[in-house]
Amino acid sequence: MTKKAKPARTAKAKSAGIGQPVEMSGTLRLPAVVKQVPFPIEALSPKVRQQTPAVGQRATRPDGRLHGLGQTKYIDDMAFPGMLYCKIKRAGIASALIKKIDTREAEAMPGVMAVITGKDIPVNSFGPSIKDQPVLADDRVFHAGDGVAAVAAVTEQIALEALDKIKVEYEPLTPIFDPVEAMKDSAPKVHPPVSNIYATKLIKKGDVEKGFRESYKIFEATYSTQMVEHVPLEPHCSIASWDANGRLTIHSTLGRITLGRTDMARTLQLPLSRVRMVATIVGGNFGGKNEITQEPALAVLSKKTGRPVKGTFTRTEEFIATTTRHPIIMNYKTGVSKDGRILARKVRLVLDGGAYCSWSETTLGKACILSPGPYNIENVHSEAFVVYTNKTMTGAMRGFGAPQVCFAYESQMDEIACELGIDPLEIRLRNAFHEGSSSPTGQVLHSVVVKDSLLQAAERYGWKEAR
Amino acid sequence: MTDVTLKINGETRSAAVPPETTLLKMLRESFSLTGAKLGCDVGDCGACTVIVDGLPVNSCLMLAGQADGREVLTIEGLATPDHLHPIQKTFEDCASLQCGFCGPGVIMSSKALLDANPNPSVAEIRDALAGNLCRCTGYTKMIEAVQQAAQVMRSAKSKRAA
Repeated sequence: MTKKAKPARTAKAKSAGIGQPVEMSGTLRLPAVVKQVPFPIEALSPKVRQQTPAVGQRATRPDGRLHGLGQTKYIDDMAFPGMLYCKIKRAGIASALIKKIDTREAEAMPGVMAVITGKDIPVNSFGPSIKDQPVLADDRVFHAGDGVAAVAAVTEQIALEALDKIKVEYEPLTPIFDPVEAMKDSAPKVHPPVSNIYATKLIKKGDVEKGFRESYKIFEATYSTQMVEHVPLEPHCSIASWDANGRLTIHSTLGRITLGRTDMARTLQLPLSRVRMVATIVGGNFGGKNEITQEPALAVLSKKTGRPVKGTFTRTEEFIATTTRHPIIMNYKTGVSKDGRILARKVRLVLDGGAYCSWSETTLGKACILSPGPYNIENVHSEAFVVYTNKTMTGAMRGFGAPQVCFAYESQMDEIACELGIDPLEIRLRNAFHEGSSSPTGQVLHSVVVKDSLLQAAERYGWKEAR
Repeated sequence: MTDVTLKINGETRSAAVPPETTLLKMLRESFSLTGAKLGCDVGDCGACTVIVDGLPVNSCLMLAGQADGREVLTIEGLATPDHLHPIQKTFEDCASLQCGFCGPGVIMSSKALLDANPNPSVAEIRDALAGNLCRCTGYTKMIEAVQQAAQVMRSAKSKRAA
């Protein structure tokens, strides 16, 4: 710890000490926020090739006090005069053609101010890369969580009741749920006429077949992971409102508001300058709040009614109608020498993309690049496919595919170690990246401390003693 | 409409709400006490925890009418103009909250625990917080904060006694 850093910390601790009055301003009923002590950045900046002294220091969050007081205003804590509440009718069927949507009965309900369907959205598609997701499904349902109509009403209760009054006629289609089945030519297409395989990646280094021929033993196994929802404690929520000059303001929990703004401008066919996005404090994101969901529907409802419209997802909608983590089926074939060195590794990944692309291309790339693991392998062949199925869409989530492949390659390392009778730590040390190693994509790596980390962890955990 | 009169954070308040209104909805919408949060609406996450007659409850599962005549303490009623509640202070010091959405609920559950048990073990703290989900922190720092707060509250009590 440097001398400069220390007085700043104690100064803050003192002024906020228990039993000591907190600075007051005006007639505020609750404790005012303590004056911010600037964080001593200079003292904590590392010199070249030096560990930053920030590591190991205690720091409190600047927003921590308001969180603890319950004074942080998340979006659901906000309300505007005359605000309406939006609820979305979910399809509840995995794959179908929409024949007819009858909203008349819902519209006639007292308290219901507007009902819209996909036809009311000017450009009814969005997505970070492939624009394959409708705001509200219009001709076709791609997964059971698709919205088919949206209601704005004076209370949430009325909006919910109105959903039951909306009659939708479907012509059911054969859904496809298994990503491996979906890759076959005979499988029903999720987005016809487009192939179910919507993105691929291939990484080749050296000659895997030669590597396998030279191997002492070859290990083959399949690993798979499941779909995971982010479950932020705060559900997705947005408020749309228009001013008299035709400018749209969206208050939202979105993490990526600039991307959201372009999506709003595109779906509503507005110039970018007419869209204002206000990011509110996010109650948990984890990658799940990286793109718009219901916002264009809220904007259209708000325009139709001339009133602000708030839409909050229920916990069920969080699970069925927002992105999730990609389940991946991972085939690993690894050839090793007698002393446990990996000579060749062939990987095949099938990512279940669900109904829409979302951030699948990013996830596919990262999973594929990282799939051989942090090991020096001369011969690598890794191919990855991401496939449409009629399930909840998958997208960004912490790690973008890295945790899934880590589970696979580390599991296989343990299996190889066990079979060859080598200590699991030792087999990793024999293969792990070192300073100057080159990654499967040819990137030369610097500041590589994987072996040091492993040894330190083993020592602290008592690895040898535990064996 | 149902007429509800109850004591919230020491003040007697009244509201007329539709009969299906939950205590949470009434606190947030009729009284603008937005500290308690709606996370799941089915009593799983605990973000809506408030203290009713000394017991922590999921206010999303209690009807406003059921709270009639009772005493409710929300996160807004913990601090005074001059002082943070020791639990709020230790939660800040230990950086126990990240996004903070679960915070008010966790702090209210902790308050109910420490009122009933001034010296809880780690197992007892875990048990008391079992109904409060947090997706950011991993709970460790919250447990630390509750332990520290318990210590502060005990020493404050013994000082008063002496």
